[in-house]
Amino acid sequence: MTLRMTLRSSATALALFTSAAIAHAAPAPATTQIAARSKPPRSRAPRLAFDADAAPVFLVGAEIRTGDGPPIAGGVIELRGTRIAAVSGPGRTIPEGARTIDVTGKIITPGLVAIDTSLGLVEIDAEGSTKDDSGAEGDPIRAVYDASMAINADSALLQVNAIEGITSAAVTPRGGLVSGQVAWIDLVHGDHRNIVAANGVAMRVQLGQTVDGSRAATWLRLNELFDDVEFYRTRKAAFDRNQSRDLAAHRLDLEALQPYVAGAAPLLIAAHRVSDLRLLVELARRGMRVVALGGTQAWRIADELAQAKITVVVQPTQNLPVTMDEMGARIDNAALLAAAGVEVGIAVLGDAHNPRNVTQEAGVAVSYGLDPALALAAITRVPARIYGMDAHYGTLSAGKVANLVVWDGDPFELSQRPSAVWIRGRAIPMRSRQTELRDRYMPRVRADD
Amino acid sequence: MSPRARPHGTAPRSVVAAVEIRPGVGLGVGPGVRLGIAFALVASACARPPTPTSAPQPVSAPASTAEPAKDDSPSWLLRGARVMTATGIIYMRGDVLVRGDRIVRVAASIDAPAGTRIVDATGKTVTPGLIDTHSHIGVYAAPGFTAHSDGNEMVAATTPHVRAQDGYWPQDPQIDHARAGGVTTMQILPGSANLIGGRSVTVKTYPGARGVDEARFADAPEGLKMACGENPKRVYGTKGGPATRMGNMAGFRRAFLEAQEYQRSWDRYREKLARQAKDGTDDAPAEAGAKDESEDNSKDKSDGPPDPPKRDLGLETLAAVLRGELLVHNHCYRADEMLGMLALGREFGFAIRSFHHAVEAYKIAPELAAADTSASVWADWWGFKAEAFDGIRENAAMVAAAGARAIIHSDSGIGIQHLNQEASKAMWAGRRAGLTIADDEALRWITANPAWALGVHEQVGTLAPGKQADIVVWDGDPFSVYSRVQQVFIEGTLVYDRDDPAHRPQTDFELGYDNGRTGAR
Repeated sequence: MTLRMTLRSSATALALFTSAAIAHAAPAPATTQIAARSKPPRSRAPRLAFDADAAPVFLVGAEIRTGDGPPIAGGVIELRGTRIAAVSGPGRTIPEGARTIDVTGKIITPGLVAIDTSLGLVEIDAEGSTKDDSGAEGDPIRAVYDASMAINADSALLQVNAIEGITSAAVTPRGGLVSGQVAWIDLVHGDHRNIVAANGVAMRVQLGQTVDGSRAATWLRLNELFDDVEFYRTRKAAFDRNQSRDLAAHRLDLEALQPYVAGAAPLLIAAHRVSDLRLLVELARRGMRVVALGGTQAWRIADELAQAKITVVVQPTQNLPVTMDEMGARIDNAALLAAAGVEVGIAVLGDAHNPRNVTQEAGVAVSYGLDPALALAAITRVPARIYGMDAHYGTLSAGKVANLVVWDGDPFELSQRPSAVWIRGRAIPMRSRQTELRDRYMPRVRADD
Repeated sequence: MSPRARPHGTAPRSVVAAVEIRPGVGLGVGPGVRLGIAFALVASACARPPTPTSAPQPVSAPASTAEPAKDDSPSWLLRGARVMTATGIIYMRGDVLVRGDRIVRVAASIDAPAGTRIVDATGKTVTPGLIDTHSHIGVYAAPGFTAHSDGNEMVAATTPHVRAQDGYWPQDPQIDHARAGGVTTMQILPGSANLIGGRSVTVKTYPGARGVDEARFADAPEGLKMACGENPKRVYGTKGGPATRMGNMAGFRRAFLEAQEYQRSWDRYREKLARQAKDGTDDAPAEAGAKDESEDNSKDKSDGPPDPPKRDLGLETLAAVLRGELLVHNHCYRADEMLGMLALGREFGFAIRSFHHAVEAYKIAPELAAADTSASVWADWWGFKAEAFDGIRENAAMVAAAGARAIIHSDSGIGIQHLNQEASKAMWAGRRAGLTIADDEALRWITANPAWALGVHEQVGTLAPGKQADIVVWDGDPFSVYSRVQQVFIEGTLVYDRDDPAHRPQTDFELGYDNGRTGAR
């Protein structure tokens, strides 16, 4: 059993080392300003211990798309407890009596990650009583709102998306200028105690005309806020003695913002227009980690974004000028950004019900020029990196949480849905409220069979 | 020069100059298959002024069904593509012969008549132009300015007097994107705020239309938009009602009772006219100016011809529904409400042509088949409101399996660009659930079946002789996520070519804004 690490195939090792080259085919040189601010992201460890004594499970024979390297043909994945113990090529020796699952001819990918979703916070969008995706209405600063405290593990939406391959989700609050803290969940339906893997993995922010319908007021308010986050950090004692000037937000909000302003965790900022995206570059220059959500016009300043190491999360099908901020929307945004060296994430933005359609979004990005390996990374590895969860999620390699998806064919194709989904080392039941509805009514339409 | 006016149904067919292309000329330039080059010649040969700015011009006039293209119209042969006809036949390798605005023949192999241009489409897939039963393009234009909100006459719950055609803005950039997604025909509906929202208009995605008459699908019947469920009661719950589903149904019944009475008043009037004529009254019955006292026609005939009832545009619309002249398109999510609406139709004697957003159609699929009512559905939208909570991907396939007409519709400027992908998801969901859904059947969900729902199935919706030559050339299987539209033809004229900027039309609105290339996609 202790040999398990040494049994890893050379193919996997190679995959680990080539990942950077794939992610940044044309890395742009970082400016000194930007390089200076890069700090290692906080890595949040979910409370999922690696259980070396758990009985191993071997998935044998699939093409393994690890998410950060070339595929492994006829590979073997060993699971123990909630973690992946090893990923290897076909040369693996399986211990006698071990539980083995033959997945010959199938494809295994890392579990897919929804980057921007209200899964677990919303059951029915139009019904306020089922919605917990925003903090106090009216107050634009809601940094203290932590999505993790409101997640409903019984949501029917979890199964609907899990059986189509979404194994983890970054649950993002919305509304206001600073919407609140993002929680990372695994889609373990019904497991209230464990569904949240980590909270506070990012702070969601909304640029544009968010404050008083004014871009100027929005930017001013954000700067005032960030200034006071720093002010408060250095004068906490004075504040507690009531010897402080008025601050731009509640002390709990200022507290919650500390790691984000310090660059230890990312600001997830919704922005579309070039002028707004350039403000993101400005924040990056000041040492903050910045991720752009939406980024409709990002292709126009791709070089700047690449240089500032701003990851851009796009929804490829959104190619309409829905607002004036989105003039010039392009279906090939992802490919253009990737070509310039920008790290690209792909998401069904802001949706709770159909994050599952992210495979279609990835397929559309590929049909408009994005490299398929980058498209897979955009829905697995990149999301994990964005949220500082990449030590535990996003690729198939030893030590990672055992979230993986078994496919009969190309995961992006419309014909394909997972044949099995593993979350935290368990194959989930391939049932949902929707399959139950289907099965209830199917006999009526097949009466003539 | 200004684009020529196109009074509908009367404009002459574009006469193509003698640009005769021998087989092979301008073709066979590799896998790129520059169909566009060949067709660009045809298009540019149309009686149309040269336009250095490449401003889009109206293409050919809408065709009249009664008048097939003349035999001397230019013809061309699309050769060697996989031809998906939506008639039940898929030619793995087939030919399509087009003359003028019409499809002349579809077969595995066609010998080109003399003078026919031959276009190599080897490796491509050809389908009918796609049709969307549910769009608000033009009445809810992009960008979504308040100034562009022209789809819901949200002043009363019942507004059958308004017409979508009067709100249709032909410079909506979404039109270009719909066309680039292979859509050639779409029904533009009023929104769903009202119980009765008004009349729809069916348009083609011709480039360069300057008014709705230059976009209108000639001779297409109009539709009536009705909406059940949450929207009307939400919008009017605090504005005089309806506030409940009870109020919704009462509102429909009240409106159609009035329409029945309106119809009777006109029937009485016409009977009276007929009686007078029969009795030899020499007063010529003249439908002169309307007068208020509609009951005056009960007066003694010695007073002369009866006065016609006062015209009411809304009741006129509803009376046309009762006479079967307008097709009813009913936004209705829940199975129980759809059954209620079918009963309402029986009560008043009208058919419902299609339920839209019918997310629970699978629960009543046999009843839809029996009523000959189609179901316009999304592949997988669900849960955004309570009445959408029971949506499932197998919906369309289950409707089809029960023998009813399934339709994939968009209700979205994004979704309309990917109707093929949405149909594919729905088709595969059905197959995984064990239903037998042929490729041709799924193609019908976005071609022949919506054509039927819009009452234009004699003219479009399949690749068959006599049909208008609305054709999409795909660079692969249309049910693959990787396939893209290569060319689009409307009535035999190239209106979109992915590889040719001159045939990627762009509406006026986007001019001057940087999108890095010309036209949609």
